[in-house]
Amino acid sequence: MADQANFEQDAMQYARQLYSAAMRMTRNPSDAEDLVQETFLKAYRAYHTFEEGTNLKAWLYRILTNTYINKYRKDSRRPSEVDLGSVEDLYLYRNIGSEESAEAARSTEERVLDGLVESDIKKAVEDLPENFRLPVLLADLAGFSYKEIADILDIPIGTVMSRLHRGRKAMEKSLWDYAVERGLVPEGAERP
Amino acid sequence: MSGHECDDALTNLYQYLDREIEETTTAVIRAHLEDCSGCLKSFDFEARLQIVVRERLAENVPDEFLQRLRDAIAREAASS
Repeated sequence: MADQANFEQDAMQYARQLYSAAMRMTRNPSDAEDLVQETFLKAYRAYHTFEEGTNLKAWLYRILTNTYINKYRKDSRRPSEVDLGSVEDLYLYRNIGSEESAEAARSTEERVLDGLVESDIKKAVEDLPENFRLPVLLADLAGFSYKEIADILDIPIGTVMSRLHRGRKAMEKSLWDYAVERGLVPEGAERP
Repeated sequence: MSGHECDDALTNLYQYLDREIEETTTAVIRAHLEDCSGCLKSFDFEARLQIVVRERLAENVPDEFLQRLRDAIAREAASS
């Protein structure tokens, strides 16, 4: 069992990334600060139940996620089950270029990957319904494995995979729209 | 270029990039990517996109907030 006296030393290293995840969950700095602070206080109080040597980062994210769901979704203990329309595979990649040459397509890819700014990426994640947004954040921001995400969210691993895959495809669709808005891609371009 | 092998590779794309796939399937995909430049390009693009997403999702956390967080834990410690 972990010693409460070591909590700050053990857990503070995760504060920055928990804050990044909290920002994408709550969509504003003041709620994100409240959420992270509440998470850390709960974690501190429960730290004697944390088994030392197990996955502290996953334990903290589990508290963060549960706190978010309870606090910001008062009507339901579970994240809302919203469906996403189906999006074709490789949406962004396939839409990027129908240029005559491979070189031209390659340069459009570079322009898109360089030109999509932080706010585009953040919006693309925030556009996702919650039941897709949480797995995407846990994988693509926090770097958790499918198994860890399944444990954090209390959902089967197959559900993690399908939500993650469909969530990422939907994100690519949003990113394509932002790339078009920014003029990063030739108009009417589509890869055959 | 597209065929069964391309379809199989594409089906497993995210699991491959996430390193969530058995070694035998990884070897099959890797061999296919060596032969198929179309799939290689798309896998490469998705891999680069994942890096871009991770980098640009990170927030600058205000130092004052981290201090407030430490203070809140210290207050909690003092009161318990």
